[in-house]
Amino acid sequence: MKGLFVKDLKLMMLQKNFLLLILAIVIGMMIFTDDVIFPLGFLSFIGSLFTVSTVSYDDFDNGNAFLFTLPITRNQYVSEKYFLGLLLECMAWVLATVLGIITTVLKDTLPITDLVQSSLMILPIMIVVQAIMLPFQLKFGGDKGRIAMIGAFGGLAVITLVIVKGAEAIFNIDLVSLLDNLPTVSMGVLIAIAIIIALLMLLVSMKISLSIMNKKEF
Amino acid sequence: MLKIEHLKKHYDNFSLDCSLELMSGCVTGLIGQNGAGKSTTFKAILGLISTDGGNITILGKDRKDFTAKDKEELGVVLSDSGFSGYLKIKDIILILQNMYSKFDKSLFIEQVQKFQLPMNKQIKEFSTGMKAKLKVLVAISHNAKLLILDEPTAGLDVIARDELLEMLREFLEKDEERSILISSHISSDLESLCDDLYMIHDGKIILHEDTDVLLSDYALLKVDAEQYSKLDKQFILRSKKETYGYSCLTNQKQYYMENYPKIAIEKGTIDEVITMMIRGTEQ
Repeated sequence: MKGLFVKDLKLMMLQKNFLLLILAIVIGMMIFTDDVIFPLGFLSFIGSLFTVSTVSYDDFDNGNAFLFTLPITRNQYVSEKYFLGLLLECMAWVLATVLGIITTVLKDTLPITDLVQSSLMILPIMIVVQAIMLPFQLKFGGDKGRIAMIGAFGGLAVITLVIVKGAEAIFNIDLVSLLDNLPTVSMGVLIAIAIIIALLMLLVSMKISLSIMNKKEF
Repeated sequence: MLKIEHLKKHYDNFSLDCSLELMSGCVTGLIGQNGAGKSTTFKAILGLISTDGGNITILGKDRKDFTAKDKEELGVVLSDSGFSGYLKIKDIILILQNMYSKFDKSLFIEQVQKFQLPMNKQIKEFSTGMKAKLKVLVAISHNAKLLILDEPTAGLDVIARDELLEMLREFLEKDEERSILISSHISSDLESLCDDLYMIHDGKIILHEDTDVLLSDYALLKVDAEQYSKLDKQFILRSKKETYGYSCLTNQKQYYMENYPKIAIEKGTIDEVITMMIRGTEQ
């Protein structure tokens, strides 16, 4: 497993310039615009993107066949990707939140509690994105995986829209304003529940990925 | 070391049914045309594809019970796959150090320098020869007991092939128990390295013979139609119609040399034996 981490770390180092560029854009956006939340979310998703990119690198030139002759199992490979994803996401998220807090304090634009609340809301979304991306990437590989992923996120957006609009039309409930008007305490509970649900989804996603990888032929 | 019994794998237009055995301390060659089933056999041994039947025992263990730790005893070269082309040799050293408990870093670096492989260049920028040498270096650098090499010399010139075979000989010399299963369609490579050879055609093993026997006892008889009709055919394995008459493959050269002194008899080379086994008709 340690060998896999070293490999992924080396592969990710290939994109260090890209990472620095994103970091520069994020800091620039935080300094020069009033919107801190968008760059905060943007940076948080980098963890997932980098993990997914290592799957493409492994797949390059049929490299997976050789990879699985090394002393690792397919289950270890999948577990490592999920663990790496979570680790990178958390690191990116912490970094983004710290940057966000510093900018907010310096510019005095938002109350810190509001910023932390928004930042916490990103956490479950980030986990769900990883839960969706990894199985698609493992199943379809580089190019087809990207197309399948776009389809999946499109589908997710449509489902969310249908739920929100459906609730409004059938039950006459405005979910968006309901969320906006929740008191802070219940917002905290809501975020905690969302994180738990997201982690459960990640577990299901991991089970699916394990089954995908164990069926794969190289 | 390795035993395969009726390994089966079916694809739409190809079926594999292969049995072979590799003894401890031996080098066994698997030889056959492109698409004969060599790579499929290798991939099944390595667990890269699922199988439709048969048994594979590897280093005394059933394939299904072979763990990640057990894989440390294997050194593998695949013809169409290797470390990600984006990595450099210095990255690979770190990865191997963390993958194999017996990785011999000094030997690896020594060989890298000997073959003048660049440490700091991405593998995808390497020449075919450099890539092939690196693959074999990786396979032999962690004290493996069994090497499984699928076409390690493919696409190489004579000099590079020779260097590569020399690396394998050195690997074998260090421990009597080390074994190699190697495939190639360049028969001269196998002739000089292998103790015994399996020939595979259309997914089936059509011949298994010790290399020495193959080179000493197999021969091609070149006969005209009249000689052919009088020929004792009990030791003829295959025969083929030619412009001058017939060519016949035998595994009893001595018998025909003694009893038919007038017949033209050519020493069998591996290439000729393969061609006759595939193209000739059975007696």
